[in-house]
Amino acid sequence: MAGAFQTLDPRDLLISNENVTNTVWLNNSPTLNAYFTSSVQVASTTGQFYYNIFAGSAATGSVQFAIAYCDADGSGSLAYNPNVVGLSPTRTNYGQYRSLVVGDEGNSFVFGNQSASYFYALPIERSGYKEELLPGTMTLCISGSLGSPVEHLFLTDDSRLGGAAQFTEAGRVYNLVSGSAGNVYTGVSENGWTASSGSYGWFMPDIGTLLLNGPALDGTYADGGIALGTLRTTNAAVNNPQKLFSRLNKGASGFTNAGWTLNSNEQLSSDFVFVRARSDEFNYSTNPSFISGSTGAVLFDSFINDPQVYITSVGLYNNNQELVAVAKLSRPLLKDFTKELLVRIKLDF
Amino acid sequence: MGYLNNQIVTVDAILTTKGRELLARGDGSFNITQFALSDDEIDYTLYNPTNPSGSAFYGEAIQNMPLLEAFPDENQMLKYKLATLPRDTAKMPVLDIGLALIKLAQTAQTTIQPQTLNYLGNNTVVESSGYLFTISDVRQFSSVLGSGVDTTAATTLNSSTTNGTDVSKTVIGTSLTLVATGVNTLYGTVGTATSILYSLLTIVGRDSGARIQVPINIVKTS
Repeated sequence: MAGAFQTLDPRDLLISNENVTNTVWLNNSPTLNAYFTSSVQVASTTGQFYYNIFAGSAATGSVQFAIAYCDADGSGSLAYNPNVVGLSPTRTNYGQYRSLVVGDEGNSFVFGNQSASYFYALPIERSGYKEELLPGTMTLCISGSLGSPVEHLFLTDDSRLGGAAQFTEAGRVYNLVSGSAGNVYTGVSENGWTASSGSYGWFMPDIGTLLLNGPALDGTYADGGIALGTLRTTNAAVNNPQKLFSRLNKGASGFTNAGWTLNSNEQLSSDFVFVRARSDEFNYSTNPSFISGSTGAVLFDSFINDPQVYITSVGLYNNNQELVAVAKLSRPLLKDFTKELLVRIKLDF
Repeated sequence: MGYLNNQIVTVDAILTTKGRELLARGDGSFNITQFALSDDEIDYTLYNPTNPSGSAFYGEAIQNMPLLEAFPDENQMLKYKLATLPRDTAKMPVLDIGLALIKLAQTAQTTIQPQTLNYLGNNTVVESSGYLFTISDVRQFSSVLGSGVDTTAATTLNSSTTNGTDVSKTVIGTSLTLVATGVNTLYGTVGTATSILYSLLTIVGRDSGARIQVPINIVKTS
């Protein structure tokens, strides 16, 4: 055998998937402890549909998630046309999520055991959650009151309760329940729901979105709610997202489990290539300093019988011998007729 | 660019620009099937077979060398390949095309026929697998055609095109036919305007791994 290119044995190529978990928030903090809105965005046309929430001031921070109020009756915002009652941004939001999550227009949102005609959607920035939200890692604190003393509602998903996830048009769905980091608080009901409004909403890891059940949040403290005070006035801009934003802000910091803790999960596909150089392979070099002149004679006489070469790079080629990837060793490795080499190269996609 | 930490042996792998291009095509051309090893950056004159400390120290000036990180430009990596040759090889394979410079007028055509010296006991041989011809700037030629090797790889490379940018192009063959561009705009019109386009032809023996680089000048005629 002679030459510079070696064909890889199929057994030397391996594709592997591994799960990589990370924080969802773009500031790399596991918990979001401050929320900001942009007055420019809120006042713009898009502000009628959703509020963007930033980790820092809008000028310097990046969008982490949004709050969209969704109402089946179109209440809570101005109608597009005053003569057409019920068609408004909040109705558009509702239809958008109904189409995305429950599909058919005849289906409704059933949170736990109660259907709801209005809810808050919290879609999370895609670049933050990468591929999916990681169930069982979330603690979301919403303040129970803007006054004092303050009671707080802590929400998590019920993935650790042992039941299988429900599946909708938007993939897996878990119920949002009272608790933290996947551990369910059963003080109000045995499954962590409210007393009379069902669960607190849906946790949908595959589309990186939470739906917060409006009636559950509007319920009394005794029922497990926080008396959010959602207004469902027809043809009136009542800024319901601002109400939820204020409660989130009130619960963002200053005590245990404050803010919003959540992790993402990503499946990273890697190509592993095992490169082997046998003892009788790759022992001579085409490096111009390996030869002494234009005739090609090797630099030292000892290199004729006992060549010493130093490997610095591995090149990976396709069938057309186009160099598609390179691997560089951190230091030169000596190769001669008495040595063999095995290098594992990992390419991430 | 930076140095790699040479206190531990690690492998720093990246896709080349060509690799990203092939990946983006999504036609399966990225598929890794072969590998080669190289000793880029090594200066064998640092090897000292008269080191008074003994043979274990002959290569100490090389083995302690901190290496640079990988470059994504495929033309700057794997330049000097390691070759598998019989023991007792006294002369390394060397490529020869009989020219030190390829000078072409606009739209002129030339054919390059490399030969390999000192390969497997032959004084002169044309490698049976042919040669890889890489021109550094595809815009400077209206045609780049390899011939003499009838394989799928050779056919694929001859027919592949990348539009618009100053990327390299590689073909396979035992000979290469180049036709210089007739486009005047590449020479510029003001400021850095020139009457010559400079390019580089890299030839690698597909069997021997021997490599030669030859500059190309394309002279403006109109």
